[in-house]
Amino acid sequence: MIRLDNVTKVYGTDSVAVRDVSFDIAKGDFVFLVGPSGSGKSTLLRLMNRQERPERGDVWIAGRNINELGDSRVPYLRRGMGNVFQDYKLLSNKTVFENVAFALEVIGKPRHVIRQQVPAVLELVGLEDKHDRLPDQLSGGEQQRVSIARAFVNRPLILLADEPTGNLDPATGEGIMQLLDSINRSGTTVVMASHDHRIVNMMRKRVIQLDRGVLVRDQERGVYE
Amino acid sequence: MWSRIAYAFRETWASFRRNLTLTAAAVVTSAISLLLVGTTFLIQRGFDNLLVRWKGDVQMIVFVASDAAPEQIAYIEGIIKSQPAVIDLDKLKYLDKAASFEEAKVIFTGDPTLLSLLTPETIPTQFKVVPLTADAALVRSLAEQYRGLPKVEGVSLAEDEFQIISTLSGFVRTVTIVMSVVLLGVAVALIWNTIRTAMFARRREIEVMKLVGATNWFIRVPFMLEGLLQGLIGGVASCGGLWALNRAWTTGVAGFKPGTGISALVVPGSYVNGVMVMLLVIGALAGAIGSGIAASRFLDV
Repeated sequence: MIRLDNVTKVYGTDSVAVRDVSFDIAKGDFVFLVGPSGSGKSTLLRLMNRQERPERGDVWIAGRNINELGDSRVPYLRRGMGNVFQDYKLLSNKTVFENVAFALEVIGKPRHVIRQQVPAVLELVGLEDKHDRLPDQLSGGEQQRVSIARAFVNRPLILLADEPTGNLDPATGEGIMQLLDSINRSGTTVVMASHDHRIVNMMRKRVIQLDRGVLVRDQERGVYE
Repeated sequence: MWSRIAYAFRETWASFRRNLTLTAAAVVTSAISLLLVGTTFLIQRGFDNLLVRWKGDVQMIVFVASDAAPEQIAYIEGIIKSQPAVIDLDKLKYLDKAASFEEAKVIFTGDPTLLSLLTPETIPTQFKVVPLTADAALVRSLAEQYRGLPKVEGVSLAEDEFQIISTLSGFVRTVTIVMSVVLLGVAVALIWNTIRTAMFARRREIEVMKLVGATNWFIRVPFMLEGLLQGLIGGVASCGGLWALNRAWTTGVAGFKPGTGISALVVPGSYVNGVMVMLLVIGALAGAIGSGIAASRFLDV
């Protein structure tokens, strides 16, 4: 589903974020990208959704080399991916329902589809009774659930999550992980960047460890270390 | 498709309300600049009316009485043509009654009283003379000679009527064109800035839109529509201003004493309508282009 071949990403002239990284992620996998801050986890996620392009190497998504993708095709690549962020990136002037519906609206889905899919995904994340709240009226965990609902409402093949539990207390973080796990079990490939030892050790999923941009460990059912 | 169109209009309207002050500034500037563009066109048309009888290097007009017999006209023509060294015979033109009447309709647009007195039967015909010489004294002496001919009602010389108007016309044209181009540039810059501010205010939203797979055009269209509307509203306001200005001018000119020549500066209504349509188009285009550039420039999020 996702393949990186000798990918190197340099910011500016000499700040190497990722150096010669290669790995394969199969369809339906759940993978943690771990490592300290600045190790290149977020850069890898940004390379996967074409927010960034590598200086060297190739990024393959669902059999396509996305570096060769024309700019006009990038939106269609992203429609097959969901993105979850540490800071949720919710729109504060829109309700929970509208935030989730927004993801469908901007890719031109008709209203009847929106009316059908949004309540279903809100039920999945356990927020069906809070659909008319504004993000400010929700707890951090609930806001992250809205963000996951928005990422998943289009039933993407891949879900990229960048420190989704980073702003949450341990109990709430566990709830979010259960949600991501159930999404993964429905067939969606999940790639999650995290430096939360507890979460990674609890889940026992594949772990790809980075250190200063270099891949130092790729382990099935791994722990943080 | 319908949901996309509805989305674009909804977002345009919301952004309009959010940036009311900036929007008003952009609209007012574009209205003023477009009004100036429109006024330039009207002033030019007015001067063209004044100068229409002097088109094509004509330096002298010999007016022939309307009751002149064909042989009398031929006699005058013969006299004019008798000096091929001084007169450009190829450019010598005779305007019969019908042609003279058509010309008078342009010149006297703003003087309907005088125009109503003229008929194709009573109007003097004209010889338009282009001299080969630059010697003003020689041309003047020729004019004196023609004035003495039978059935010649009068001779007008360009240097008397034309030079001042021509110079004034050139000056006014340059000043108004420069001012309107500068103001139009300011209007585009203001629209650009409004859109940039609108996009900055919504950068988070745009980032989310891009990440969930919205195309650049989907994001850009509401902003371009917003700029287009700003230009268009400015255009509508400028049309109103131009209409009022032209009406005031036409009414004012009607109060002048007949025969002062000022009436030629009045522009026909059909021309004013044409200029208004042009202002709307320029306004809409300037708005769409300004905002389109801004939207493209700030889409890299």
